Amino acid sequence: MSGHHISSAKFLWGIGIALFFLTFVTVAVTWIQIPEPWNVVVAIAIAVVKATIVALFFMNLWWDSKFNVLLFIMSIVFFILMIGITLLDTLYRTDPIPSF
Amino acid sequence: MSDTSAVTEHKTDHIQHHFVDSDQQFESSKMGMWIFLVTEILFFGGLFAAYIVYRAWYPELYLEASTQLNAFWGTVNTAVLIGSSLTVAMAIRSAQLNQIKGLIINLYITIGLAITFMVIKYFEYAEKLEKGIAPGRYYTYDGLEHEKANIFFSIYYMMTGLHGIHVVIGIGLMIWLVVKAKKKVFHSGYYTPVEITGLYWHLVDVIWIFLFPLLYLID
Repeated sequence: MSGHHISSAKFLWGIGIALFFLTFVTVAVTWIQIPEPWNVVVAIAIAVVKATIVALFFMNLWWDSKFNVLLFIMSIVFFILMIGITLLDTLYRTDPIPSF
Repeated sequence: MSDTSAVTEHKTDHIQHHFVDSDQQFESSKMGMWIFLVTEILFFGGLFAAYIVYRAWYPELYLEASTQLNAFWGTVNTAVLIGSSLTVAMAIRSAQLNQIKGLIINLYITIGLAITFMVIKYFEYAEKLEKGIAPGRYYTYDGLEHEKANIFFSIYYMMTGLHGIHVVIGIGLMIWLVVKAKKKVFHSGYYTPVEITGLYWHLVDVIWIFLFPLLYLID
């Protein structure tokens, strides 16, 4: 039975505290001035870790059917594809859109 | 466990005729919700694409304009949303364990946190709009050097605004869940609406987890 995993209250609180802690880390790394572009990389990396924790243990993907995991991963793959193809255009323009 | 015949009868009430059993119905609903969440990710994905394109064009604009955003209240709101994700997870746990009272209490706390989020957001918006920091051509603030400062705030209002609409819809869904829970619709054998509303709420949290550093913590 993939869909009826019951997490213990202690476990859910543990996940919550981990997320609070990572939020603190996200803010704390802005106090030490990390040079460009690494500050963005660090901020995104922490956000990805937090999002993964939420998806696995709050949205229960860890115990869920593999098909739901696949759906989630495919949405990210197509998102990256959209960004990638868009940037192939916009990064190599000599002039952005006039007046925008 | 006091399983009377009335309870057993009640436990099959929710199964619709086109499903084999309760589990198949539950799994189908959940998969449907995940497909909806995929469309949500790509929906917000378009806005993230706009953010990335303009940030690549005008990196200095983002550095300058984000100083107008209050990182303290952004952090508070992040904590509020993570807290509400925790209480939704606890609500689902309560439903799974047949603790309907716990389910209702956790839903109330979640609704309270969601409203807190929106109130903070309201004060953030009001403070900016008063200064003339409005999206697009309604932008009249002259405290920023960059000539395209309005673009950053168009993106800011679109992303946080769409996210805010999702929070408001979430509040509505959770009020609906409280009403249903009070009518004793949910029990350990049927809590599908609680589960999939939870999935929706966690996704709203995940999107904010990205919005927060990308908008508030630049620099």
